[in-house]
Amino acid sequence: MTSDRVNPSRALVWTAAFVVLIAATLAMLAARDHLGEAHVALVFLLVVLGASAAGGRLLGVTVALAAFLAFDWFFLPPFNTLWVRNPFDWLVLLVFLVTSVVAAQLLYRARAERVAVERAEASREADKLKDALLASLSHDLRTPLTTIKALAHELQTLGDERTLIIEEEADRLNRLVTDLLEVARLEGGALPLDIQTNAADDLLGAVMQQVSGRPDHDRLKVSLENPAALSFGRFDFVHSLRILGNLVDNAFKYAPPGSSIELTGGLEKDALVFRVSDHGSGIPTSERDRVFTPFYRSPKASGQQSSGLGLSIARGLAEAQGGTLTYAERNGGGAMFELRLPAVTA
Amino acid sequence: MLDRTALVIDDEAQIRRVVSHALADDFNKVVEAATGADGVRLAAIERPSLIVLDLGLPDASGVSVCAEIRKASSAMILVLSARHADQEKAMLLDAGADDYVTKPFSTLELKARVRALLRRGHSQQSGGGAIMRHGALTMDLEARTLTRDGSQVHLTPTEWELVRVLMSNAGKTLTHRQLFAAVWPGRQYGDAQQYLRVHVANVRRKIELNALDPHYIFTEPGVGYRFAPTQ
Repeated sequence: MTSDRVNPSRALVWTAAFVVLIAATLAMLAARDHLGEAHVALVFLLVVLGASAAGGRLLGVTVALAAFLAFDWFFLPPFNTLWVRNPFDWLVLLVFLVTSVVAAQLLYRARAERVAVERAEASREADKLKDALLASLSHDLRTPLTTIKALAHELQTLGDERTLIIEEEADRLNRLVTDLLEVARLEGGALPLDIQTNAADDLLGAVMQQVSGRPDHDRLKVSLENPAALSFGRFDFVHSLRILGNLVDNAFKYAPPGSSIELTGGLEKDALVFRVSDHGSGIPTSERDRVFTPFYRSPKASGQQSSGLGLSIARGLAEAQGGTLTYAERNGGGAMFELRLPAVTA
Repeated sequence: MLDRTALVIDDEAQIRRVVSHALADDFNKVVEAATGADGVRLAAIERPSLIVLDLGLPDASGVSVCAEIRKASSAMILVLSARHADQEKAMLLDAGADDYVTKPFSTLELKARVRALLRRGHSQQSGGGAIMRHGALTMDLEARTLTRDGSQVHLTPTEWELVRVLMSNAGKTLTHRQLFAAVWPGRQYGDAQQYLRVHVANVRRKIELNALDPHYIFTEPGVGYRFAPTQ
């Protein structure tokens, strides 16, 4: 199908092309006295087109040159020399050569375009397949977790407190499944994106809503740099909520109990900037790059339940939608993460 | 207890068992179906008031089963979703589902959702009056006014319509598409949907005490918006 085909069939196509060229030449030679230049040119052109369709551009041009020589040698008087008596015959030869080469070239280009379209289609199909595979994996992993949770709950009504732990562990396993599937989507390029115009208000409110179930949710202080202004960005709402959710979760986990966590949003030139800062001990300089790599867990985090995927997912999601996620030290100590997303500027 | 039937459509026997068990308190008959085709058939025969539909059915997509059931039944449809795709949840709500629960869910959560759905189904039958009250908000449909703690909130006509649609569907998640269709009838969805988000942001600043910590209009990430249910 493509021109970079393996050798055996390629050699066959070349041989076949020349056999056909020679056969056509011999046949026309037998009837030379009855044929005009136009007849000869059209038959050769047909052979050239057939050769480039079957064997690609190089074969097409080669056959065109061979046909050009055969045309001159056998069919333009004086015969059996490359010399051409009638100056107009030069014109016929030249037009024949140009036509054959251009036709071979056009055929090649049309074919290359079709191959590119087919490849793009195949890659789209592959992405769809990856997405479907991950979706069904997600379903198959979560269904037994649902049964485990529900049965643990039923047993709990009989008075066994250990069932609470079963439910908690099922939740933990679910978080791990979610994280691993997200990493697979990010790495496999199968991450669905839904970029829309969204308000900074809405995203911050959704983070508040998400943490509202925590008993210590009032540790999180959410504010806007410029409370009077409404700011909008172009981003995927769900992914951005996941990013800020991960950052805020980390702050709840690693900053001292009871200390406040600040989440701010604001417009800076062409970016919507969200910052999550805490009053913990921050991240040591030696670890600042590594915290964004998958499965990295800080030695400090040994007591915490963590897959080591939260920050790498957050950065992956930020970059997938044209944003950035970076770390800096908070003024006065503590960690500060900064998420920048494309803003909508009026 | 009223004479109520529930239908559980799920290919996993274990899930059918735990869901049926959870529904036993609120329904005197629970029927089970293992395939989408069976589910559609039973929905027509048993006339259930609630249908719990799993998305991962082997024989048909959740959206198509949902749409098929909706042709002949006005039962409340609660979808069980294990997938991460919020767009799919939105598609299901658009296809006529009433609510969804994400796996793994707890039995308590499932029961709470079911009861909220039944309450809503009940209040819809009784019909809404000319005055709707939610917390500090009072909306007078005849006078076309909205007050918060007695003082009038000034809304543009579009904002008024948006609040009216949300408030009269209190407790129900409305997808971006459904809201858009209700507030701008006849307009093309597409690009114009961004206006919806802009208007919601504006309305929140007018009716919420703190727009960053909304108590009336909740965001359902990737799906739409939901007005706080009546208590």
